[in-house]
Amino acid sequence: MTQLLWNGLFVGSFYALVALGYSMVYGIIKLLNFAHGDIYMVGAFIGFGLLTMAGSLATSAGFVSLLVVLVIVMLATGTTGLLLERVAYRPLRGAPRLSVLITAVGASFALEYGMRLIAGPNPEVYPVRLSGHTLHVLGARITLEQIGLVGIAVLLMVGLQWLVMGTGTGRAMRAISQDPKASLYMGINVNAVIARTFFIGSALAGAAGVMAGAYYGKIDFLMGFIMGLKAFTAAVIGGIGNIRGAMLGGLTLGMLESFGTAWLGGEWRDVFAFGFLILFLTLRPTGILGERVTERV
Amino acid sequence: MGRSALRISMLGGGLAATVLLAGCGGGLLSSGDAKSSSDQGPVKLGMLTPLSGSSAAIGPYMKNGAQLAVDEINAKGGVDGRKLTLQVEDEACDAKAATAAANKLVTAGIDVSVGGYCSGATLPTLPIFAKAGVPMIIPAANSNELVEQKKPNVFMINGTGTQQGDAAMQWMKEQKATEVGLMDDNTSYSVDIANVTAGLLKQSGPPDMSGHESVTAGESDYSANVNAILKGNPDFIYWTGYYQEGGLIIRQLRQSGYDGDIMVADGSVDNKLISIAGAQNAQGVYATMTQTPDTIPGAQKWIADYKKKFNAAPGPYSTQSYDAVRLAAEAVRKAGSTDGNKVISALEGIDGFELFSGPLTFTPEHTLSKGGFQILVVKGDSFKLEDPLQ
Repeated sequence: MTQLLWNGLFVGSFYALVALGYSMVYGIIKLLNFAHGDIYMVGAFIGFGLLTMAGSLATSAGFVSLLVVLVIVMLATGTTGLLLERVAYRPLRGAPRLSVLITAVGASFALEYGMRLIAGPNPEVYPVRLSGHTLHVLGARITLEQIGLVGIAVLLMVGLQWLVMGTGTGRAMRAISQDPKASLYMGINVNAVIARTFFIGSALAGAAGVMAGAYYGKIDFLMGFIMGLKAFTAAVIGGIGNIRGAMLGGLTLGMLESFGTAWLGGEWRDVFAFGFLILFLTLRPTGILGERVTERV
Repeated sequence: MGRSALRISMLGGGLAATVLLAGCGGGLLSSGDAKSSSDQGPVKLGMLTPLSGSSAAIGPYMKNGAQLAVDEINAKGGVDGRKLTLQVEDEACDAKAATAAANKLVTAGIDVSVGGYCSGATLPTLPIFAKAGVPMIIPAANSNELVEQKKPNVFMINGTGTQQGDAAMQWMKEQKATEVGLMDDNTSYSVDIANVTAGLLKQSGPPDMSGHESVTAGESDYSANVNAILKGNPDFIYWTGYYQEGGLIIRQLRQSGYDGDIMVADGSVDNKLISIAGAQNAQGVYATMTQTPDTIPGAQKWIADYKKKFNAAPGPYSTQSYDAVRLAAEAVRKAGSTDGNKVISALEGIDGFELFSGPLTFTPEHTLSKGGFQILVVKGDSFKLEDPLQ
């Protein structure tokens, strides 16, 4: 039981990190950024490239080198997100919703197969792997590295919460999500704030990518696809457009999968988890925290 | 949602295939007189193999193996003076991409198909080749579903799922396993082997089945599945899917404290499995596998030729693809024509043709009479032969 909870929490924190970017972008410009999962993939690959270049230095430094790489990757994927927004989405700002959605699917393919051209179609294995140091807590096997990764995820989420609720940029973001036109009249540089939102969301996804690469070890150019889908689901469960909702949705989805597998078997897991999604959409279309519609970011 | 995920990824594959099609327009234009004659002109072979997608690593192994055979036969004057040509298309381990690629090969007028790796992607191509009267010699795909439709043009030169299940069962008994956990990835190939093995385990006497778990391919975290399979306290776990998930599952099994035996099926035999799992986790992992170049006695010269030509080492299914081309050439030679029906009769009449896996004679179902599965084990950073199961 504790093992199931911990497994759900661990996977859920990855889902949550990626779901945040989904949710923020949707909250602010009502765009389902299907390329968001692929930013996660790009992050994993940039991290792989950096660690490979650092070679033996990275292997000996272990967790510390990962932290350094994590920061660089967040900056890099953040910039990728900026570019994506500038190239693929900003020119379509006034276009019908459907056009932007299709552009997002196109951007997703461009990132996937662009990475395939650069890194090749074969899966790669991370040079620095996290494993070992098992603790037994209430009958569950927990590794120190897992705790470390969940800790990083929590720190990032707390940081984001502060950024959105406690800074000027955050206030601008919340204002735009309520009414972009009025925000513009109030002197907010809407394009700049939207770009910053993309930067933050993409940086979080990139962080999740490096963490997944270092923990699970295998990365490939299609890894962002399923992750994107899961993150989207998590965002919807939590209430899309809502930051705390995305965190909660990620954890909920992780738990649903963990318990679904234990109770019904692996082949029923997705039926169980996505059945819940349908239930949510029917009974509570705004998600768990969806009532806070006035404060979407 | 899971299914729509698949659909979108198929769309991706389809798009990729379309791009390929567009890029090779020249081939389509010249297809008008492609099948004008069945007893002169080049003998056109076509191969579907994954060059992109999750199993993209296998594509070059198969393509090069086939190309080596084509070049060797052509160097000796071809088949009755007719040169062989080989056209390779990407199946991407994806039903939609495979269908598009098969149609492309048929349009290009191929005489014999010598491809097929992922069973799930090969299945939908059967009716396409059957309708065009193209005999298929399938070197790698081995789900029983491929021959269950009893299409006269389908021949398999890899062992079937049934034969692989038999080999797995034999090895579990030899290892004195008592409780066996089965894990598959919900694809045709994987489920086939798992179900065959499950059927054998359910028969009386040890070993018994402790659980059967299906995972979703393409994810990273299988801890929930690992938990579920370990609930049955297995002392032997058989993974019947491909190597990417296999590596992760082995690692996560070991991290959960499982220290019993693990065995994987032939789709997981790739050195990447070991690096994904981590070398220390993968040590002692068994595999049911048909012959690979490394495990065939006397294949050193062949390996050297291959390396010299392609500047890369051969891998899984290089030899089977090489054999598929040789077998196709032999059948065309015996038939004296590339007419589909004549080639099919010639293939059915093959008796004792030497392949890497031994002398070949097809069963009435067009499968190998003897599976030729053997047991490999991970030692160091590669798979070594453990037991030929003869």
